[in-house]
Amino acid sequence: MFAITPNTLSNFMISVSRYVILLSIALISVSAFLIIFLENDYYQGVSFKIMFIHVPTAWLSLSIFLVMGISSIIGLIFKSPTAFTVARSLSPIGLIMSIIVLVTGSLWGNLTWGAYWVWDARLTSMLILAFIYLGHILLLYSFEHFQKADFAASILAIIGLVNLPIVKFSVDWWTTLHQESSVLRMGGPSMTNDYLITLFVSFFGIFMLTIFWFSNIFYIIVEKRKMERSILLND
Amino acid sequence: MRIIKLNNQIKKRFIFLLIIFACFSTSIFLISYSLKDQIAYFVEPTDLKSMEGIENRYLRVGGLVKTNSLKFLDGNWVFEVVDQNQNSVNVVFSKTLPNLVEENKGIIVEGKFIDNIFVAEIVLAKHDENYMPQSAIDKLKEEGKWRGN
Repeated sequence: MFAITPNTLSNFMISVSRYVILLSIALISVSAFLIIFLENDYYQGVSFKIMFIHVPTAWLSLSIFLVMGISSIIGLIFKSPTAFTVARSLSPIGLIMSIIVLVTGSLWGNLTWGAYWVWDARLTSMLILAFIYLGHILLLYSFEHFQKADFAASILAIIGLVNLPIVKFSVDWWTTLHQESSVLRMGGPSMTNDYLITLFVSFFGIFMLTIFWFSNIFYIIVEKRKMERSILLND
Repeated sequence: MRIIKLNNQIKKRFIFLLIIFACFSTSIFLISYSLKDQIAYFVEPTDLKSMEGIENRYLRVGGLVKTNSLKFLDGNWVFEVVDQNQNSVNVVFSKTLPNLVEENKGIIVEGKFIDNIFVAEIVLAKHDENYMPQSAIDKLKEEGKWRGN
């Protein structure tokens, strides 16, 4: 597994990426169709449909950070350039995802709670996650040599892993304005099956889009390094 | 397949990372444990009984709006916030309520106790984790399983 070079991984992902983007477009169109024709929630009305963007991006922003943290650990322990490059190409996607979560969440919050923003545990820890993503990107691009940048940024990613269970379980550990999770909870999901199916279709659509996006960023980084290396060798 | 030997260098790096991670997670745990009263966004009416000096202190109280208690009297909204232990707090609010404040639904009020009546300055509707269309509720009502209002 650790014998995979960035080059082979990037070639593999670029070769499958056209199927990934086709699948993503198909799933996102199906979910858009489902979202438009779903029956409204009995209590919130039409505003609950924000959930079908908010929840998938929230899951993704957490799981992207988990993958980033694990690949940073692998990269630091085994000195694997592939793992470092995976972490490097994931962090802008995670930042965009967490910004989408915060924006859609505050729009929904204004319609439902009556406030765009409150400082409860879930919202604050999610904001901290977005700032860790931002810090990770800033660290990656503030060194002259990318090996040093990868080292510093992966330490931040490993420390940032502590925040993940806080984001996930903040609604269970403390009293918050944000509601508890509706899908991963004791006693099964607290939403009807048509909502649940739409949520999962939308999630897999955005997930495939994330993979496509990731493979493109990864490819660009690998090709750029190849180019720089060839310029150095020619000089 | 190439087999990786767990050599000394890798072991050292692993222990180094483990120590960093353990230190940070312990410190974050200790911080959040000692600040747990500040991190909690609101208190329930039951918690108020054991708290001292709540008069004139700015706090947030959360619970459900008691059934048949939401009234509009002399330009003020008057209602009771109740929790699952049936302890309740009388609340007065003089501004516009959020759209989704209803009886038997979650609410968080922010303000002060003045003469044992909670004078709220901000009221937020707290949504629960249930999402369902009206048709599913009608079906539950037909089967006699609906517990809401």
